[in-house]
Amino acid sequence: MIAVRDLTFGYPQGGFELRLRELKVTRGEGVALVGPSGCGKTTLLHLLAGILRPVSGSVLIDDVEVSALRLEDRQDYRALSMGLVFQEFELLEYLDVLDNVLLPYRISPALGLDEAAKQRAVELVEQVGLADKKNSYPRRLSQGERQRVAVCRSLVTRPRVLFGDEPTANLDADNRDQVMGTLFRYAAEKQAPLIVVTHDPELRERFPTVLDIRELTP
Amino acid sequence: MRDVIFMAWRYLRFYRGKTAVLVASISLILFLPAGLHVLVEQGAEVLTARAETTPLLIGAKGSAVDLTLSALYFRPPHVESMRHREVKRVDRSGLAHGIPMHLRFTAGRQRIVGTTIDYAEFRGLTVDRGRWLAMLGECMLGSEAARALGVDLDDHVLSSAGSAFDVAGSFPLKMPVVGVLAPTGTSDDEIVLVDIKTAWVIAGLAHGHEDVNSAGKDDGRVLQREGRNVVANASVLSYTEITVENMDSFHFHGNPDGFPIDAVLAVPASFKASVLLRGRYEEGDVPVQMIVPSVVVNELLETMFSVRDWVVLGGLAVGVASAMTAALVFALSIRVRRREIETIQKIGGARKRLVTILGAEITFVIVMAVVIAGVLTAVVSRFGELAARLVGA
Amino acid sequence: MKILLFIAAMLVILAGCSDGRNEATESASAGAGKPLVYTTNYPLQYFVDRIAAPVVEVRFLAPGDEDPAYWRPDAESVLAMQKADLLVLNGASYEGWLKNVSLSPQRMVVTTDGLGDFLIPLETETTHSHGLEGEHEHHGTAFTTWLDPTLAAAQAASIEGVLAARWPRHADRFATQLAELTRELTALDAEAQAIVAGNPGLTVIFSHPIYQYFIQRYGLSARSVHWEPDQMPDETQWRELRAILGEFRAAWMIWEAPPLPQVSGRLASMGVRSAVFDPCANTPGSGDYFSVMRENLETLRRVFAADRPPAGR
Repeated sequence: MIAVRDLTFGYPQGGFELRLRELKVTRGEGVALVGPSGCGKTTLLHLLAGILRPVSGSVLIDDVEVSALRLEDRQDYRALSMGLVFQEFELLEYLDVLDNVLLPYRISPALGLDEAAKQRAVELVEQVGLADKKNSYPRRLSQGERQRVAVCRSLVTRPRVLFGDEPTANLDADNRDQVMGTLFRYAAEKQAPLIVVTHDPELRERFPTVLDIRELTP
Repeated sequence: MRDVIFMAWRYLRFYRGKTAVLVASISLILFLPAGLHVLVEQGAEVLTARAETTPLLIGAKGSAVDLTLSALYFRPPHVESMRHREVKRVDRSGLAHGIPMHLRFTAGRQRIVGTTIDYAEFRGLTVDRGRWLAMLGECMLGSEAARALGVDLDDHVLSSAGSAFDVAGSFPLKMPVVGVLAPTGTSDDEIVLVDIKTAWVIAGLAHGHEDVNSAGKDDGRVLQREGRNVVANASVLSYTEITVENMDSFHFHGNPDGFPIDAVLAVPASFKASVLLRGRYEEGDVPVQMIVPSVVVNELLETMFSVRDWVVLGGLAVGVASAMTAALVFALSIRVRRREIETIQKIGGARKRLVTILGAEITFVIVMAVVIAGVLTAVVSRFGELAARLVGA
Repeated sequence: MKILLFIAAMLVILAGCSDGRNEATESASAGAGKPLVYTTNYPLQYFVDRIAAPVVEVRFLAPGDEDPAYWRPDAESVLAMQKADLLVLNGASYEGWLKNVSLSPQRMVVTTDGLGDFLIPLETETTHSHGLEGEHEHHGTAFTTWLDPTLAAAQAASIEGVLAARWPRHADRFATQLAELTRELTALDAEAQAIVAGNPGLTVIFSHPIYQYFIQRYGLSARSVHWEPDQMPDETQWRELRAILGEFRAAWMIWEAPPLPQVSGRLASMGVRSAVFDPCANTPGSGDYFSVMRENLETLRRVFAADRPPAGR
């Protein structure tokens, strides 16, 4: 359901170029994106998520050419259809756990916050074992707890695609397992493609598909 | 909009210290000129109202401002005294009647105003409790004077002694309080009101003593008799309190026309009469000056307004600098929040929504500052009049 | 003559001047009834009433059994006087209590102001000094001005002037009524003059030094002692009288009230008869100022018509 064709990208200041002739990810497929640092893994992830726009070529998600959308439309599409988890958790310090989970609803006009969304947020928080901390602020959470909140945030909008950029890089083994377990479970339930950039060899093993960016980009 | 308000409010609430500092500084910048303006306006109103109800004022030649401040607002008089006959000069003109004022003495920090019962009628004073002055040695208190001195009806007030170099000049007198005046909102609330003759008693121009004229040969109070003159020694008491028993013995030495007063309120029969009277005082060979208090106060206020305008201008300059600083602080805080903004954008936050949220934060701060500045200005407006009267008093 | 010219001048001056008071506030009690005038003795009350009735209400506060010259108002009386539209004073040191009270100078008229030349100063018996001030006297003035009908007329004119200035609407009435009063006073004066002229060299003794103005007006040869009608004089006082009689032949002592019979008896044994001349300071039991003064003139007529005093004592 994700299809990439003849993608090229370069930063305006130059010094880096990414070329990708073709990439296909099917529904429910879990893909680990690997490669050395600086080779463009995060850039590719951002291109697939519509955060960056390619110089040429196309990115289609469920037949929607995301790469051709205007900035506002890409942002709306991302808010509606994608879930993203980053290496640095990136919770808002001034919102408690539940409000951080519901952040997508607050910052996107494409989403409307309703009771169903609030209920989902509570359930997700309970699922990741943070029921007793749902009104706590990020400064009171451990690293693992913060990343679990970030995962909940990525899932609360019921996305059709999941992206992760080194989501377990700063976590211990237990937290890593919990975080990835949650993502895998969701991807399997919703048949959502899950694309994760990772350096972790153990994590890589858990993905059925491993793509080395050096092989994708000649 | 609900989400925008939610996000902005949560941010400000979480960083309440920073929010408080911003709100406080902006509200102070707004309050300073507003509050000053209100205070000055109210002060001007109080001063002007008082001056406008006083048509003409006569005093010894010298500073018109000092005369106005002492006679209207009961500041310590810095002008010389003049003679009581100046009251008759006004009365004899047929154009106005004169009300004498003696302002030299205090009881504690309250000015003792020696005058006639006409003053009360002129100023529209009414009795709140007790009665009017009737007998020599009595006093009445303004509402604030009663509170400041901590006395009320049937208590006594003691006039303060004069300066250390004036031991013989002022005669501490214990005065019964026979009445308390109703509040007027003017400097009359601060005074101890006495008859002008009582003020002269305090000044040592009259006193009572035991009758030595009929003392016998061996009476120890008598030093000697020289013909029909009886010389008494210092054991003869000069009373510090005038009572029914000793009142008759009180007598003035000399002609009251020559006794000191500090001001005469001249109440003209008509506008034309006041113009004629002013002409006589300006052109005639009179040893005193006649002023129009409202003119003097207006000149004083011009100066006050100029000072206020400069202060407000200075305040505005500070305000501009502070606004620029606040803008810089805000810009820097945007930079500090760069990652937060990137995160929001990455998870699909609309740029417009983001800008609105940041705008809402600024708006909240400004609105809170405006509200606080407004409340402070209202407080000044309510109590500033009191402060202005105290300054005026 | 001089006094009549003075009265005329005062009428002209007072008719022309204003006391600076707005006519709109002509009466403090206008809203509540008649304007209120207080006086400090009966003759003034009588004059005000004669001139201003029924326009004003006149009151006089001293009790009927007290000499108003020695009455001392209490606070209540002073507060009552403060409510007056006008306070009519005798002046000439009469109201010794004035220095002790708080009253509005604007509402006072001192009826002997301007009579300076005619006022009789009194010498006090002793002066005193204390501390560093040196000796000083307490000067007074004789104050029974109403006993001289011409001075009484001047006082009445002073009253009329102020009344007319305060209540100009009634000025005509005041003027008419004053003129009538002045005529009667002038007639009284003429009658007294005629009586005295009948025996110009007659010396009389006055029991009390309160007849100065009467004596001055009619040029009487008179001496005063200081006797009270309800008291027997002591031997010093009798000796003083004998000394006076030794210098002046006097066949009459004139009293302010009927003396004790034993006193009048002893006087008679000395060849001095007693007669009463009521100074009329307070409200008479019956009659009015003029009836009292006419009775006084009848007494005077008897005194001046009597034979010369018998020789030897």
